[in-house]
Amino acid sequence: MRDVYVIGAGQTPFGSFPDRSYRDLFAEAYGATRDSVDSGIETDEIDEAVVATLGVGGRQLGLSGPAVTEHVGLHNVPCSRIENACGAGGFAVRQGVQAIKSGMADVVLAGGFEVMTDLSGDVTKYWLGVSGETEWERLTGTTFSGVYAQMASAYMEKHDATKEDLSRVAVKNHGNGAKNPKAHLGFECSLEDAVSAPAVADPLNLYHCCPTSDGAAAVLLASEDVVDEYTDERVRVAGTGAASERVGLAQRDSYTEISASSEAADRAYERAGIDPDDLDFAEVHDCFAIAELIAYEDLGFCDRGEAPRLLREGVTDPDGDLPVNTSGGLKSKGHPIGATGTGQVVEAFDQLTGRAGDRQLENPRYGLTHNVGGSGGAAAVHVFENEEVAQ
Amino acid sequence: MMGLESVGAYAPRYRLTADAVTDAWGQFHGAGISETAVPAGDEDTLTMAYEAASRALEAGDVDPDAVSHLFLGTTTPPYEEEALSPRLASFLDLDDALETRQFAGSTRAGVDALASGLEVADGTVLVVATDAPRGAHDDEIEHAGGAGAAAVVLTPDGAGTVTDRAERVSPFPGTRFRPAGEAETTGLGVTGYDRRAFTETVTAAADALEIDLSAVDAVCLQSPNGKLPYRAAGSLGVDSETLQAGTTVHDLGDTGAASVLLGFASALEDDHEELVLLGYGSGGGATALAVDAADVAIVTALEGGETLRYGEYLRMRGDVTPGEPDGGGAYVSVPSWKRTIPQRHRLVAGRCEECGSLAFPPEGACPDCGALEGYDEVALPGTGTVEAATVIGQGGAPPEFVEQQAREGSFVSAVVALDGSRDDDGTVSTPTQVLTGADETVEVGNRVEATIRRIYTQEGVTRYGFKMQLAAE
Repeated sequence: MRDVYVIGAGQTPFGSFPDRSYRDLFAEAYGATRDSVDSGIETDEIDEAVVATLGVGGRQLGLSGPAVTEHVGLHNVPCSRIENACGAGGFAVRQGVQAIKSGMADVVLAGGFEVMTDLSGDVTKYWLGVSGETEWERLTGTTFSGVYAQMASAYMEKHDATKEDLSRVAVKNHGNGAKNPKAHLGFECSLEDAVSAPAVADPLNLYHCCPTSDGAAAVLLASEDVVDEYTDERVRVAGTGAASERVGLAQRDSYTEISASSEAADRAYERAGIDPDDLDFAEVHDCFAIAELIAYEDLGFCDRGEAPRLLREGVTDPDGDLPVNTSGGLKSKGHPIGATGTGQVVEAFDQLTGRAGDRQLENPRYGLTHNVGGSGGAAAVHVFENEEVAQ
Repeated sequence: MMGLESVGAYAPRYRLTADAVTDAWGQFHGAGISETAVPAGDEDTLTMAYEAASRALEAGDVDPDAVSHLFLGTTTPPYEEEALSPRLASFLDLDDALETRQFAGSTRAGVDALASGLEVADGTVLVVATDAPRGAHDDEIEHAGGAGAAAVVLTPDGAGTVTDRAERVSPFPGTRFRPAGEAETTGLGVTGYDRRAFTETVTAAADALEIDLSAVDAVCLQSPNGKLPYRAAGSLGVDSETLQAGTTVHDLGDTGAASVLLGFASALEDDHEELVLLGYGSGGGATALAVDAADVAIVTALEGGETLRYGEYLRMRGDVTPGEPDGGGAYVSVPSWKRTIPQRHRLVAGRCEECGSLAFPPEGACPDCGALEGYDEVALPGTGTVEAATVIGQGGAPPEFVEQQAREGSFVSAVVALDGSRDDDGTVSTPTQVLTGADETVEVGNRVEATIRRIYTQEGVTRYGFKMQLAAE
């Protein structure tokens, strides 16, 4: 099957923009994405669009895809909306890759958007909670902070992990986000700040939880047959993998791993023909601090129970062997549900094409993105490669 | 005639002291009461009925399937219209070929349920009295108002016997009443008239018994407060010790329709055998039963565990809490809730027809082998082990649990591995809340056991289901 390349990626700042419409945010991200294409791209060159959103607030639950693509002038372009909760963006990219690989499209726009900060706390929690298992799990009074806190309790019981280890995720990701002008919470925090923050759902405190954000992000994908028309910097989708898992935590075989993530990663590595050791950086789904620890293990960065050691030893710091969440991650960059997965690809694209500013890593070849829906009901993993670095 | 097989009694663990009310109001009108029992935010007369009834069945080692009649008395049902018995029967796993009666109208309802149960010709009768009277915040009914439930199992072979019985009525309007649609019980407060109504009526019923009250071990007399019963001591011809042996009012408060049966349970706990039960209801009526209660089995849970400040009491009762919030909740429709009632009420799991593994709820593909073959019903014992747990703090609850959190504060949400029904069963896991007292924490590995509480209320319909509590050591 044909190879697929990322020819452009862009996003709005992630943050709190309660007076902006979802269409307006999407238009900004679309514009930034087009602008990032070296040779430029016209609207009529886009064959298909895939748009990710949960639809928080219920503002346009039906036809939310065409509502934004028609708004930006992608007239009559087929558009489908993808819904996989917080993992929707990763799946939108996957759909785009599939459309190109199948031969049905040469250029696909994969985008995502969400507006979350114009709602009351109760309404926001309603919308976040409807992606958990609603009939049993939610009726014990949990939202995602509660479910991830349960995972953290099981992890800390099973492995040598402390609240300080959880807090190290916040310190690292805020340090990275402080260098990202698009970050929602772009400030640094100390370990002491992150350890002593108010409890949200024990053992998770405020600094162990990502914010709710507004924003949009998009990616332009092109087939190997047309990529040269747009850019000389060939960022290839080297491998992509995805998997589902039982939506409710209690139904799973383990509470200390997310099998959808490990399955998705295995498939992505296999298709890319690489091992985790080959990666130069990764954007992982750190909606809660425990999620980043579990991600290290699910994605094969270390053995089970070893994630706290990676953090303590600085392995995933920007100057470590495998920098993780150079963008700031969900924790600092922000988490506008539908835009998160495509936003991760924006960071990967920027790193692989030398556009990451103060966060730029030195000549990375392979980067990974890892996007999870809910507490692990769905996960999409992509491996990107800068083909020039390879040569 | 039916004999008394066993008795169960329950009071919530929270207490409000007379001193706390005095601090808040400058005075306390619950005469003769030192503290009252307060239902937890997720308890009501239906959940208390379950607590008492399950203990009565346990005490008598009675198979729930054997129960043929369920008679329930209360003055404060959670719903003024809509029968409680079908849900209580479901909680307890009683047979659906069940005769049910609900008694109401006055605090006699509990003793009347018992008196009616005694009329049943054959079978096993479960009588439950449960109540939590409320008044206006500054009045004597509220200050005296407590909470609790008691249950009695009647069988033809029951060891306890009712040797004599009598009822009397006499019209005394206005002593204690609740107009239709009102939440608070009130009274005119005509002191002498109220005393006369009580004393004359209970004395008339007691006088109709052949037994001499001065000869019995305890008289379990209706106790609207801690003084009124003693004012009837003279006309009943009993001393105060005999009355005190048959009441829980001093420690639990006025338990309304459950007052006499809770007093009965208390007397049995103290090994009293020759008893008179004397129920009184406003409007003017009394029921008297002479009981030889030797060898009646009993299990109770009446101890207090935690004392509330007055503000906490107002929160716990839902008097100052927001109710159902805007913003909606995860919508589980009532018909779809109805479908899961065996799981919510009784932890009915499934055994995979293909591989024999357990599934909870028993729906969809087998979590073990993945087969979509279907399940055989399995009743789980209701015990388990905590596998993962968190404390949901203020602001962390989804909208439909905001009211619970407003009432009780932080709560524990956990994943519990439920024990199977056979030795060779593995466990099957479920999300659940775990109830905790003030100093209790829940850790991975803790053993827990199920009870029934209110889960949440949506569209005005309260959903009841299992929650876990830390297992007794």
